[in-house]
Amino acid sequence: MNRLTSKLQNLKENNKKALVAYLVAGDPDLDTTLDLMHLFVDSGVDVIEIGVPFTDPIAEGPTIQKAHDRALKNNISLKMILELVDKFRETNTETPLVLMGYLNTFISHIDLVQSIGENSADSILVVDVPGELNLQTYGITNPNINTISLISPTTKDDRVESIAKNSTGFIYYVTLRGVTGSSNLNIEEIKNNIQKIQQYSDAPTMAGFGIKSVEDASTLAACSDGIVIGSSIVEMIADESKTKEFGRIGKYLREMKTAIS
Amino acid sequence: MTFSNSNFPDKEGFYGEYGGKFVPETLMYALEELENTYNKLKDNKDFIDEFYKDLSHFVGRPSPLYFAQRLTDYYKSGSIWLKREDLNHTGAHKINNTVGQILLAKYMGKKRIIAETGAGQHGVATATVAARLGLECHIYMGAEDVRRQSLNVYRIKLLGAHVHPVDSGSATLKDALNEALRDWVTNVDDTYYIIGSVTGPHPYPMIVRDFNSVVGKEVIEQSKDLFGKMPDAVVACVGGGSNAMGIFHPFIDIKETRLIGVEAGGEGVSTGDHAAPLNDGTPGVLHGARSYLMQDESGQVKDTKSVSAGLDYPGVGPEHSWLKDIGRAEYVAVSDDDALKAFHEVTELEGIMPALETAHAFAYLEPLMKELDSSANVVVNVSGRGDKDINTVAEIDGIEF
Repeated sequence: MNRLTSKLQNLKENNKKALVAYLVAGDPDLDTTLDLMHLFVDSGVDVIEIGVPFTDPIAEGPTIQKAHDRALKNNISLKMILELVDKFRETNTETPLVLMGYLNTFISHIDLVQSIGENSADSILVVDVPGELNLQTYGITNPNINTISLISPTTKDDRVESIAKNSTGFIYYVTLRGVTGSSNLNIEEIKNNIQKIQQYSDAPTMAGFGIKSVEDASTLAACSDGIVIGSSIVEMIADESKTKEFGRIGKYLREMKTAIS
Repeated sequence: MTFSNSNFPDKEGFYGEYGGKFVPETLMYALEELENTYNKLKDNKDFIDEFYKDLSHFVGRPSPLYFAQRLTDYYKSGSIWLKREDLNHTGAHKINNTVGQILLAKYMGKKRIIAETGAGQHGVATATVAARLGLECHIYMGAEDVRRQSLNVYRIKLLGAHVHPVDSGSATLKDALNEALRDWVTNVDDTYYIIGSVTGPHPYPMIVRDFNSVVGKEVIEQSKDLFGKMPDAVVACVGGGSNAMGIFHPFIDIKETRLIGVEAGGEGVSTGDHAAPLNDGTPGVLHGARSYLMQDESGQVKDTKSVSAGLDYPGVGPEHSWLKDIGRAEYVAVSDDDALKAFHEVTELEGIMPALETAHAFAYLEPLMKELDSSANVVVNVSGRGDKDINTVAEIDGIEF
């Protein structure tokens, strides 16, 4: 079974919520990214989302955009990211890894995506492909990879079902109208919408976009199968990119883990 | 009167293998709402009447098809006709589309208008129609373009709109589009995004094309009146490609007319420093659509180079990609130097100062008129006037005010 699917099943059976954490590959450099991935796991992260940098990341707010730009200054490519994943797998074969990015970088390397083996990345999340479109249309048919689709507050009911069907990994519920790192969560709306998704699908539903505080985390975890944290971590990575002392990130993640437990 | 004579795009928004809707999920609903509204209104008599009334009385249409006597004499062959979009209100073809889209915004009850702009012409056109309807308006513009098009920035501000300079990426048109899309993702409930070219996710390339097709339709009628047949060639510059698509589209089934799009060759296509994806790009996905794109082998979008801010864009409208592949339109490129030379020539010979974008179309007359029969009628789409470029041209010529 796919590493991501079995991990999320396992958490659910044990009545636990998933902590999903995001970073951008190559920000500030690939060696540091590898260290950070291990730090994430040591701090209680269940699933790591690896941002694949793109020149024009239209769904990202300023914090993650800048991280993409920094990574691109290091000429980070999908090939290098898969090599990073291989290195990570040398010592960690447990933690599911999701590649999150934009269609153009994946279809430019379709051969690489198709060659991903069992002991590599586990899932792909393409931000700019509508959820009812299957990634198979774009040549992504690798059975080792499952897919994650986004559902947002503006998704109409008739589309929720078809999107949910195309999500083999988990469903990513975008908790706000806005780009990554925005604020102003509408908790009631989120609760209602996640309930609606769960009527249509058995796939786990993660809540993400705009989660910053432990309060957000615990409220949203209560109505979902887990939470995704991105911008707040990426900001801390940027702050400490010179000193590379990331103790603050470990502490933050542990607090988040406690908040959703 | 109806807007379109083509079966494309298909219902998913594709022109052959180009186009589509590649956007974050939050925008899918807004695109669907826009598509439904447009499909309902495009055959509605009241809507069409209101659109054409605004084009007559607010824009000043039809624009003339003008015989360029001295330019014709200069090339010693054929007849050169100028479609005078530069005479439109606000000085370019951009107003045709904004007049149409602001009507859609009005019918949809949207209170807030956003747009991206490169050369500033679309920003001016959008701020103009927003002012006319008293709607809040925000224009995103690359910081580099804010610098080189300062006159238009001031015009936009005078019209009561807010200008947001965009510093990310290459700080030009593509980054302004990214930022406008981000604004739309955030404020999707009350905001209408007026895209300024035949780019972006479906239904935008279709809507912008349809509103701007008034240009080509007029040329067909004017050609009959003025020289009794269809032109042998229609020449237009292509950045995103809205002026070219507007004049090309009604001609798609008129096979005797060659359609020639002129891209920005920058330092020269062979140098790689240009903005000519149809000449030197490969298919990729940017800003919601699949189309020819300037990208590296990793799928990253390349920086572009052009003296003309309005053509300085790494992508192109999906229908142009399709017209290229099926061979219905030809796409060439001319360099910055040749465009600047044409800018001066046309200004001196005809008393018409073209925009630097338009100057690219004029520059292609040099090889084209040699190639064509001496009886050929050639129409150049004068997509905009050049007042906005005076600072750029003066700087290149080493003149300080």
